[in-house]
Amino acid sequence: MENVMTAIRVVPLEHYLILSFLLFSIGMVGALVRRNIIIVIMCLELMLNSVNLLLVAFSAYHSDPGGQVMVFFIMLVAAAEVTVGLSILVLMKRNTDGVDMNILNRLKW
Amino acid sequence: MSALILISVLAVLVLYLGLFGNKSWLAPIGVLGLLGAIALFASGWHIDHHLMGGMVKFDRFSIGFNIAMVAITVLIFLFGPDYYARAKDNVAEQYALMLFSLVGGFLLSSYTNLLMLFLGIEVLSIPLYILAGAKKNSLRSNEASFKYFLLGSFSTAFLLMGIALLYGLTGSFELTVLGEHIANAGSSDMLLNFGLFFTVTGLAFKMGAVPFHFWKPDVYQGAPTLVTIFMATVVMMAATAGFFRLIDVTGMPGMLAQIMVLLVLATLLVGNVIALRQTNFKRLMAYSSIAHSGFLLLALLTDEGLVEGHGTAVGRTLLYYTFTYSLATTGLFILFTIAKRANNGAEHNDIFRGLFAAKPWLALCALAMLLSLAGIPLTAGFIAKYQVFLLAIGAGWLKVMGFGVLMALLGIYYYFMVVRELFVRPDQPVTFVVSPLNWLVVSVCAVAVLVLGVWPSLI
Repeated sequence: MENVMTAIRVVPLEHYLILSFLLFSIGMVGALVRRNIIIVIMCLELMLNSVNLLLVAFSAYHSDPGGQVMVFFIMLVAAAEVTVGLSILVLMKRNTDGVDMNILNRLKW
Repeated sequence: MSALILISVLAVLVLYLGLFGNKSWLAPIGVLGLLGAIALFASGWHIDHHLMGGMVKFDRFSIGFNIAMVAITVLIFLFGPDYYARAKDNVAEQYALMLFSLVGGFLLSSYTNLLMLFLGIEVLSIPLYILAGAKKNSLRSNEASFKYFLLGSFSTAFLLMGIALLYGLTGSFELTVLGEHIANAGSSDMLLNFGLFFTVTGLAFKMGAVPFHFWKPDVYQGAPTLVTIFMATVVMMAATAGFFRLIDVTGMPGMLAQIMVLLVLATLLVGNVIALRQTNFKRLMAYSSIAHSGFLLLALLTDEGLVEGHGTAVGRTLLYYTFTYSLATTGLFILFTIAKRANNGAEHNDIFRGLFAAKPWLALCALAMLLSLAGIPLTAGFIAKYQVFLLAIGAGWLKVMGFGVLMALLGIYYYFMVVRELFVRPDQPVTFVVSPLNWLVVSVCAVAVLVLGVWPSLI
């Protein structure tokens, strides 16, 4: 465990911050721009995983295991969430025969 | 703790009963369990309970909110048998998912640790994604469910980013550590500002504050009405309570005050102005709920964090506001379902036409609830808004409060569009079919709104 902590600390904290912000932004832009729903769900996962990376880095720098426990909770909840999301997608596929965002156009102001 | 376990076990029990295909027992058992939970919460009123290694604290604020949430769920469950009378299957699952979601609400109103904030929000939301799509063959329901899922997970990612940054700042998920850090080290740190910004963004999504409100009208319109009631009431209360828990520790350090002011102004303006041109009643209620979350944010804005004694006043106002709002919304949506059935599934505002001629008492109930939402004196909605404005004056946000008063006046207009329909004579006679239980629930909502308006000290 201590080896891993020191291995993580080899890279400066700022680099982890920048990397995870980059990943987060890529995920965010992807979720807003892409039209294929499967890719949008992948982008959402990317956002969550960038947070995981950040938490592990902070956890190593603070020498506090709490952050790594949080990572497990996030992975678990993300799995539950994506299960629900994909099953809703299957339901929509059955009713409309497509996985493109443009089918989401029945509710408008 | 026992109430949390009771509700979770109750949900599993309801799910199990659904296997036997007997719908008629589900709601009574659910109501009994919920009443038991109220009793358990009430018995813990005088002592603060710390659970799960101090991650959850049941104090008076959270117990008050929890009892209010359970009470509204009881009203929704009483409406259930009639609403699901023609549904063939999956009824037990929907009751059970609502109970699971309620457990998330309990966590959200009583967390003292950011980990529990995240879990609470997710336990609250994931059942709701499914519930919004409960009408499996309706495309609109599917779409509502999927939109809610996409924007919900999106906001969760923001919330998590905020939590991670705050963790990086203090090295702990405990809210008290965060509060002490702000008190000692000041509020100039970038990590703190960004962390709070992301966390507040995530929570504002759940409350439906502008500019994070886009899901609300679509989801309210597409979801089954019973689920819409649950989202508009219990979820709104839980999100408000969760927001308050955070703000009550951090206060308004650094940029947060400016961000919150912008949120309040945008939410009040957009919610009230767009509601003016809504003709679909469900969308109208969605924009009304956005407008109300603007007033709730205004109350949250006045919280000064760890300053002793001030947080209780804000917490009490929030409880009173959300509870009375939820009562009026529940009653109105039940009346909406009755009117929708009488008009062959139309959702336009004018389905209420002729209600006064056919059922005078129900029309008067609807009038009381609409007046309460609009904030006319002698109803609870007026006292709620009045208390929020008092808090805002006390904290020195005079201009924001003035804007709030203006928007409250604007809001009266669109509620009166519905009030007018109640008393208009219909072109051809309409028959409203009301079951005795629905009549009772609507009457309870309307009378409670009036009683709480005359004697606000009851809460």
